[in-house]
Amino acid sequence: MMRSIYLVARRDYLGYVQAWGFWLGLLLTPVLMGVGMMAPSWAAASQPTRYYTVIEDGNAFAEVLRSELDKEREQVARMTLDPLAVMNNETSEAIETFDAALDEGASVEVALERAGGSTVDLPQSDFIYVEPPARTSEALQPYLLGERSIETPNGPQTLFAAIFVPEGDGEIEYWSENITAQSLRGKVQAAEQTLTERRVFEEAGVSPRILNEAENRARTVSEKRARPPSAAGAGAQVTLADRAPFFAAVMMAFLLWFLIFSVVNYLLMGTIEERSNKIFDSLLTSVKLPHMLAGKLLAVLAVALTLMAVWAIGAAVVVNMFSSAMPADMRETLFTVISAVARPSLLVPAVLSFVLGYLMYGAVFLALGSLCDTIQEAQTLMTPLIVLLMVPMFMIVVAINDAESPILSVMSWVPVFTPFLLILRVPAGPPLWEVAGLLVLMIAATLLVLWLAARVYRAGAVHGAGVGDVGKWFAKALPGKKG
Amino acid sequence: MTSSVPLEMQGVTKRFGFFTAVRDLSFTVPQGSIVGFLGPNGAGKSTGLRMALGVLSPDEGEARLFGAPPNINSLRRVGFLPEERGLYKKMSPRAIISYFARLKGMSAPDSRKRADELLEAMGLAEFGRSRISKLSKGMAQKVQILSSLAHGPEFLILDEPFSGLDPVNQQGLEDLIIEEHKRGATILFSTHVMEHAERLCDSIVMMARGRKVFDGTLDEAYGALGRAVLIGVSDGFDLDTALAPKGFTQNEKQGDTWRVSLPQGQDAQDALRAAINAGAPITSFRPEEARLRDVFVSLVSEAEAADLDESLKADTIAEVI
Repeated sequence: MMRSIYLVARRDYLGYVQAWGFWLGLLLTPVLMGVGMMAPSWAAASQPTRYYTVIEDGNAFAEVLRSELDKEREQVARMTLDPLAVMNNETSEAIETFDAALDEGASVEVALERAGGSTVDLPQSDFIYVEPPARTSEALQPYLLGERSIETPNGPQTLFAAIFVPEGDGEIEYWSENITAQSLRGKVQAAEQTLTERRVFEEAGVSPRILNEAENRARTVSEKRARPPSAAGAGAQVTLADRAPFFAAVMMAFLLWFLIFSVVNYLLMGTIEERSNKIFDSLLTSVKLPHMLAGKLLAVLAVALTLMAVWAIGAAVVVNMFSSAMPADMRETLFTVISAVARPSLLVPAVLSFVLGYLMYGAVFLALGSLCDTIQEAQTLMTPLIVLLMVPMFMIVVAINDAESPILSVMSWVPVFTPFLLILRVPAGPPLWEVAGLLVLMIAATLLVLWLAARVYRAGAVHGAGVGDVGKWFAKALPGKKG
Repeated sequence: MTSSVPLEMQGVTKRFGFFTAVRDLSFTVPQGSIVGFLGPNGAGKSTGLRMALGVLSPDEGEARLFGAPPNINSLRRVGFLPEERGLYKKMSPRAIISYFARLKGMSAPDSRKRADELLEAMGLAEFGRSRISKLSKGMAQKVQILSSLAHGPEFLILDEPFSGLDPVNQQGLEDLIIEEHKRGATILFSTHVMEHAERLCDSIVMMARGRKVFDGTLDEAYGALGRAVLIGVSDGFDLDTALAPKGFTQNEKQGDTWRVSLPQGQDAQDALRAAINAGAPITSFRPEEARLRDVFVSLVSEAEAADLDESLKADTIAEVI
């Protein structure tokens, strides 16, 4: 028995990995994932530096606007100084020095240097203030339209925007030729909000010093986690190690979804090839049908594991290359995170969900393939399945925001969604009876699907049933529609 | 329990919905024989063979392979070439032959060695590592035949093995079947080309419209058609009128020659003697050579007539009801 399963799995596996599509997926997936992850920062980096000016009496508005524009860079600077503290919602000596320098009016660059950081990692500001080349809108028009240039440290440039801040209650005017890039206009609005608050407080007799002190004295919210006495040693503070299982669960659920959507397609295509090439009779006189199906499912699982193993080894090599540059406390945190994820109470249900989910959907794809002569026919049957598979994707989004959402609890009892949703729920620590119940449900549902898939496969492979027969089977299954 | 009889079909019937593909089929393939499974297209040959192999389950009756219902162990002793040819197009002939041989229980090194030997013997050695998709249809068909017999089966079941092959390759396949038979294999093959059966078979099973219409040796098949002599006469002599009183009542004029059917107990000499005695101006005389094709046409026509009668009767009953 094992020999037959092995031989079928081996042949199918070698067939898949020898196809150029496999290598394309192997190499392109990490590249595309990397591109996807880096895209926002690349987009930000690729944004051209733009120049603006503020026409006002004095420089109060320009100062506040510059401060608003620097907020994102300040956060980047804090990450540069101590990423673990930022991720764990904590503070550190370096961050406190940096914040103190900012409070004293230092620029982000100066504050970062004072705290011992390097400004090399700091992105350049997207918007740079220049002294107004003229003071009326008419006179500034040629600069805004690019007919005339302004002098900047980077040479002559076009003026992107001019902000007119009148004295008194007059309307602030934001002038620009570009009406699609709205981020500067948003910052102008935020700066006006800050200034107005200050003015109102001053009018009420509150000095800027007191206002500043009030802002600084606002207490930070420290997130604590209630833990059973057995886990009291971990401390109450919520850290990255607490969140790691939730991130890991989301990743695993997404991986299962990705596997079903991409790799399991091999099953469909492989079966269509066997049907269209009329190989079934030769196979069925050499191997028992259940062994053949088991071999096919194993082959695709092995393809998926190969992909994951190669990616994991690749990631390990990359991490290893940079590990010498990794601070000791970060390595320790990495170890803590891995320990938090690699707990049997998390891993056993998650791995079972992963395997059963794969078997459930893999068997369905096999059965569908056995009914189709062409890819076009398969697409007809695939459409409802794809719509069905979008639900777990939405649920992953729900779980990112709230892993204990009642909708996840309810939907996890729908057998076709259980594999995904149990993975997502496990880090939140659902009751043991519920985990056991969901596992039993999932095993029963998988066995039922495998049994049904074997029947459909036999109908397709032996009796030549096709896509058109699916409708007849449903009609037969309806009450009172026998025959 | 195992038996030395490779195949026994006992009252096997298979229906697909309202259509009966095979009706009450019984026959035996004795060990060491070459049996032809003959019939026109749609006669139920492939369905019968698929039941013999356990790919399809009979609705009634039983198929026994080496004394037991077909199972994976008895199937390992069988080599099967299906009617619908198909191979993995991206695999090489060597890999495919080795794969199917291993599925039938051969070790990996033995299967590869055997694949090389067979490809060499069939003149396909230089294509052993090419993709199937690069081969001609005839070459691919040869590869499939080789993959069915690579594991040295005791019993070979070939469904329409000659279809799609050119005359040279058909002859090659006939030689291969004879070689396999000499090796000790029992062979059952289906065909609708009678000449192959005449050259190769010890016995034949004929099918028409899902029914068995004949089961026996070739001699018995010729006997079933009835013997005749061909007597040439001159001057438009009416041989039928001359011979009828002497017991030769079924005579057919074919130009200047009469085909005289021999009644039970009479032989060719009796017919010749009767014609001379009747004063017939005989110009030629020869016993008719029976051809399997004629037997086949005759039996199939009878079966179709019987089937037509049966359906007419069924319609009449239905109308009465």
